[in-house]
Amino acid sequence: MKRWIPIAVIVLAAAAVPLLLNPTGYWIRVFTFTLLFAAMAQAWNLIGGLANQLSLGHAAFFGIGAYTSTILLLKFGISPWLGMFAGGALGGVAALIIAIPTMRLQGHYFALATLAFGEVARVIANVWTSLTGGPVGLSVPFVPPGFAAYSFKQLLPHAYIALIALIIVTAIFEVIRRGAMGYRLRAIRENAAAAEVIGIDTTKVKLQTAVISGVLIAMLGTLYAQVAVFFDPDTVFNAMSISIRVALIAIIGGVGTAIGPILGALFIVPVEELMNDLFSAGAAGLSQLIFGVILIVVILWRPRGLVTVIEALRTWLRGKGAQS
Amino acid sequence: MTILDVCGISRRFGGLQALSDVTFSVPKGQIVGLIGPNGAGKTTFFSTLVGLIKPDSGSITLDGVGVVGLKPHKVVGLGMTKTFQNVALFAESSVLDNVLTAGLLRHDVETARERALVCLDRVGLKSVADKMAGNLSFPERARVELARALCTDPKVLLLDEVMAALNPVEMQEIMDLIRELRDDGITLLVVEHHMRAIMTICDRILVLNFGRLLADGTPREVANDPVVVEAYLGRSVEGHA
Repeated sequence: MKRWIPIAVIVLAAAAVPLLLNPTGYWIRVFTFTLLFAAMAQAWNLIGGLANQLSLGHAAFFGIGAYTSTILLLKFGISPWLGMFAGGALGGVAALIIAIPTMRLQGHYFALATLAFGEVARVIANVWTSLTGGPVGLSVPFVPPGFAAYSFKQLLPHAYIALIALIIVTAIFEVIRRGAMGYRLRAIRENAAAAEVIGIDTTKVKLQTAVISGVLIAMLGTLYAQVAVFFDPDTVFNAMSISIRVALIAIIGGVGTAIGPILGALFIVPVEELMNDLFSAGAAGLSQLIFGVILIVVILWRPRGLVTVIEALRTWLRGKGAQS
Repeated sequence: MTILDVCGISRRFGGLQALSDVTFSVPKGQIVGLIGPNGAGKTTFFSTLVGLIKPDSGSITLDGVGVVGLKPHKVVGLGMTKTFQNVALFAESSVLDNVLTAGLLRHDVETARERALVCLDRVGLKSVADKMAGNLSFPERARVELARALCTDPKVLLLDEVMAALNPVEMQEIMDLIRELRDDGITLLVVEHHMRAIMTICDRILVLNFGRLLADGTPREVANDPVVVEAYLGRSVEGHA
């Protein structure tokens, strides 16, 4: 019971934040994207953290999700809520197709292979003009506002939908991590041969994890499309701004932990926006340079992620408590 | 009743014939020792039995079911598993989690935890259940590995040098445990370099040399077999008779 209290406090605090921000302003948008990227990094954390396989191709599934729901809405008028599940299913199939050949690869090879698959998805989306509209991109059509139509005049509902999505993905991550599948994944991560010899179907467990991760990030692609309203293949299938970014968020925050991707997103998304805000008037690329330097400093300071700051803080507080 | 039937198992690695037409069968409840000089193919043979290595030819039948070509987890599911000679624990997990994970083969997490504690108790390591596996001494890790293998509820258990680096007291404990397991109905194949231990606990001994089965008999028969003595000493003993 006691461990639920801090979680409830954090969720309530997060729910209060959008009410304090200007509902038509810039920062509520940043806040929404922070939550969305936290959820995306959490979905990545299943494969990157629990299975310890550095996927750099998650943009493939994310883009499929964004495109599926938007195309279904444009061509058939299907609500993005339903399109989200269709996108999730297609994202899962894509994840399975990519996982079958790459699953046996380890370390750098897995990273490179998934990166290549992600790029292939981007190229296909650019070329398959009849389906995706090609490099021109897609605009999410404006439909009369309403919850069922997933159409809102303001960003506030989007912020809450992103918050709920983050809670759901984090809950799925925790259930898997603590359950039988979490034990199996840790076993595979540490010694695959030993895992087989105690009866773990290593192939099946890896495929299951890849598919769940792919389904979740594809569904989040729909959420992104609904907030962004306009996107093209080079945004949603982007290796740098999607694939590497979600991996980076999870790694900076603390890979394999439930809180890591949340901390990582809370740090990276607003800081990157802030740098753009402050330095975009300066020399070209200055904001990226400063952002890069900040990342390097954080990685050197906390190589195991920002989650270790919380651990250190907790130990320090406990020490204080013992003294008094 | 035969629990394990091995027939004509051969395996070649490039120019090396690692296993050559190995044939024998084991009745349920026997403790079988597998001995032979270094490089004789003992570990390769164990790996072949559980499906980590696929034989070029031959058949392996576990309790009436052919297991050649099955993935290791299927073989384990059918009731045969092995420990690793160089110990392959999940070093960054706790001792309990190492063993618990094996219990998940046949149980849910809660039951697997109870089973794991029972298995740890049997190898005398219940007190270190919460320690990180990588922080244990080598003999302790070997025992965790034994507990982990036990937690899969095997019918046939292959132990690859679990007594390495044990002191005489610990060795006696493991020997007693192996006998208890046999009394519980588990069939054991044991690779061990310690001759006194193997001669004491085994009902029967197989001698492997250059991948070929050299002898098969009771400890006494094998110890007095001139072919075996020659393989171990590297020269003919006939001239000295």
